[in-house]
Amino acid sequence: MGARPRPRPHLRRQLQPLLWLLPALLSIGSVFGYGIYRLVQEALHRDGEWVGVDNLRIVIDDPPFRTAVEHNLRLLLTLPIITAVAFVIAALLFERTRGWRFHRWAVFLPYILPVAVVGVLFGQVLTLHGMLNQTLEAVGLDSLAKDWLGDPDLALFSLAGVIIWKEIGFGVILFLARLLSLPEDVFDAARVDGAGFWRTHWSITLPMMRSIVGFYLVIEGITLFSWVFAYVFVMTRGGPGDSTQVTETYIYNNAFTSNIPWLAASAATVLLIAFTALAAIVLLVRWRLARGKAA
Amino acid sequence: MRSMRSLGVHKRLAAVVVLVLMAGAVAGCGGSSSGGSSSGGGAPSSSGGPVHLVMWWWGDQEAAGLKGFVADSVAKYEASHPNVTIDTVLQSTDNLLPNFAAAAKAKNGPDIEYRWGGIWSLTDVWEDNLAPVSDYLPESETSHYLNASEDTYDGKLWTAPWYVQPSFPVLYRKDVLESAGVTPPTTWDELITACSTLRSKGITPLAGGVKDGWFGGWLFSILGSQSLGSIDDVKQAVTGEKKFTDPQLAEWWKRLGEMIDANCWNDDIGSQDLYQAQATWVAGKSAMTVTAGTDVRKFVDQVGADKVGVMAMPAYGDGVGAGKLGSTSQTLGITSWSQHKPEAADFIRFLHTPERLTAFYEATGALPADDRFDSSQIDVAQVKTLFDMVQQGAPYLENFIPPDLDGKSVFGGVQLMFAGTKTADEAAADMETEMQRIRTIQPDLIDNFNKWAK
Repeated sequence: MGARPRPRPHLRRQLQPLLWLLPALLSIGSVFGYGIYRLVQEALHRDGEWVGVDNLRIVIDDPPFRTAVEHNLRLLLTLPIITAVAFVIAALLFERTRGWRFHRWAVFLPYILPVAVVGVLFGQVLTLHGMLNQTLEAVGLDSLAKDWLGDPDLALFSLAGVIIWKEIGFGVILFLARLLSLPEDVFDAARVDGAGFWRTHWSITLPMMRSIVGFYLVIEGITLFSWVFAYVFVMTRGGPGDSTQVTETYIYNNAFTSNIPWLAASAATVLLIAFTALAAIVLLVRWRLARGKAA
Repeated sequence: MRSMRSLGVHKRLAAVVVLVLMAGAVAGCGGSSSGGSSSGGGAPSSSGGPVHLVMWWWGDQEAAGLKGFVADSVAKYEASHPNVTIDTVLQSTDNLLPNFAAAAKAKNGPDIEYRWGGIWSLTDVWEDNLAPVSDYLPESETSHYLNASEDTYDGKLWTAPWYVQPSFPVLYRKDVLESAGVTPPTTWDELITACSTLRSKGITPLAGGVKDGWFGGWLFSILGSQSLGSIDDVKQAVTGEKKFTDPQLAEWWKRLGEMIDANCWNDDIGSQDLYQAQATWVAGKSAMTVTAGTDVRKFVDQVGADKVGVMAMPAYGDGVGAGKLGSTSQTLGITSWSQHKPEAADFIRFLHTPERLTAFYEATGALPADDRFDSSQIDVAQVKTLFDMVQQGAPYLENFIPPDLDGKSVFGGVQLMFAGTKTADEAAADMETEMQRIRTIQPDLIDNFNKWAK
């Protein structure tokens, strides 16, 4: 009488979470799977006819698409600035500088405001005769008064400035929460050893916060590359000319204004492929690094 | 630490998910481009059963009082047709086209849709999103509609002209001009001279705003039509028989440059929307502005009848639009997927009954697009001037170029000219390049345009 072999306990332990996750994975998979299927279908056809990757080639060669990607990449360059400023402000608040409660509130406030409100507000503030220029002129800095949104050389930077202003609050709160959870005795020891503000936070805080900084970089990277539509639409509508067009407005305009859905779908597909490849490379590198450390 | 690292990995994956979401949104709105009417071309008869119509419309922005007129018309129509209910949705300028595009892809949206004239209507015809109103209204009715030729294709009238848009008059403040010792300019040279004189007195000559782009299209139309022999010139530039860099098609960019050099416009035109800029004209800080003809009575009411003058943009050329207003009509169409096309057509017809034509004028001060409107009712001198001008009106240029060309090259080119980063020649070259791009990317549009243009 042979006993039926039972699954090994550790294998069961590994499979169990997957079983619990299965319904959610199936529903998410079907939603995204269908979306991707329809997207790729649209991208590979034109007027109902199969054209293969021809549409993708057209998008990649399309000057407005290239311009839009370039603008997204330029916005991405603000990522280190946002992160560094958020970190410094969080550290200052952590040190409980005078009025820190008010400052914490003031810094976080922009983050909870709807983007449309922020866009309309800054759309007014940044006009040629808006509040910013009026203030500059009042304090004798007339030469710094510019047409922040009307000048194609400045419009993207102005947009970036508003995005930084709004997004920093999230970083500050995130970093501050992490800072407050760090063991205090480490900071006490640093103080006893005579470490100042910069030394303490550069050599002690930052290394201990690497994971949360990494998380913030990813979230803000995503925001700057694919979640800036509302800022652009409300503040500049992509202008002047195409100076603030981004990939989202390119997709939106082609899908809903120019009525060329295959071009919009092809652009989204190109971005999907690029991001999937990028994510795969990052995951591979991290996996290799982790394996290297374990070895 | 381990859990935080794995959280980071998941968030990186989230980057992919975000793109998928964006992709899904586009795909969801995509679908087959073959389109086609879901309800066929037959005319279902009114059974007397309940009918629910949905009307998406736009226009309160350019014809103050239209909202009240629409509500009143719906109430009256529902009262006389107890089986019919009508929901109306006022669209914003930025949403008018995108919302309809999304609805059209799903073939599920309004029964009655507002469209600007010419190509703005016909692009949806070519996408099978509209049913011809002439299939549901007799010729004895549609023959009264003004500017219907713009919306006629393949022998059918596709959208029904609703009200006339005199496009686009220059409004001037008599008091402001007088205070500067300037008489209303009637020629191009007088306009340029007036700009210098007004500037020297600290008055902004012309108020405009190009931040949202649309005013660029107006400038293209009122300046561009002055150097064209006929509207065929611009049609041929679209189809490739001519170029937008040809002297007669590119001249308007140079004239715009001349105005910019003469400081004719407000210095913040690049960071203002048109409606914002017009407020400075109402406040008496600028001498002239350009407006939708439908909005003239509103400005007369705001500023005072004795202070407001109206004229066409002073002419530099002797082309088809020189010294004239463009005459076009804003229209209502019936969607191809509507289950109640005859009823929708009947409501459109109701808007053209004599009582409604009078009510329209009284509510808005704008001119109904119907020759049965009794023009003796026009009680505002400036509107009477517009009425007389549109009798001799020219085709409205912006209705004869692909919307994409308008949105990219005209809106953008005008913005960049005002910003000082493009010359007239560069802007014209960009327009031609964009037209070539459109011919490559949207060959079907050009094919249909060719059929329409001939």
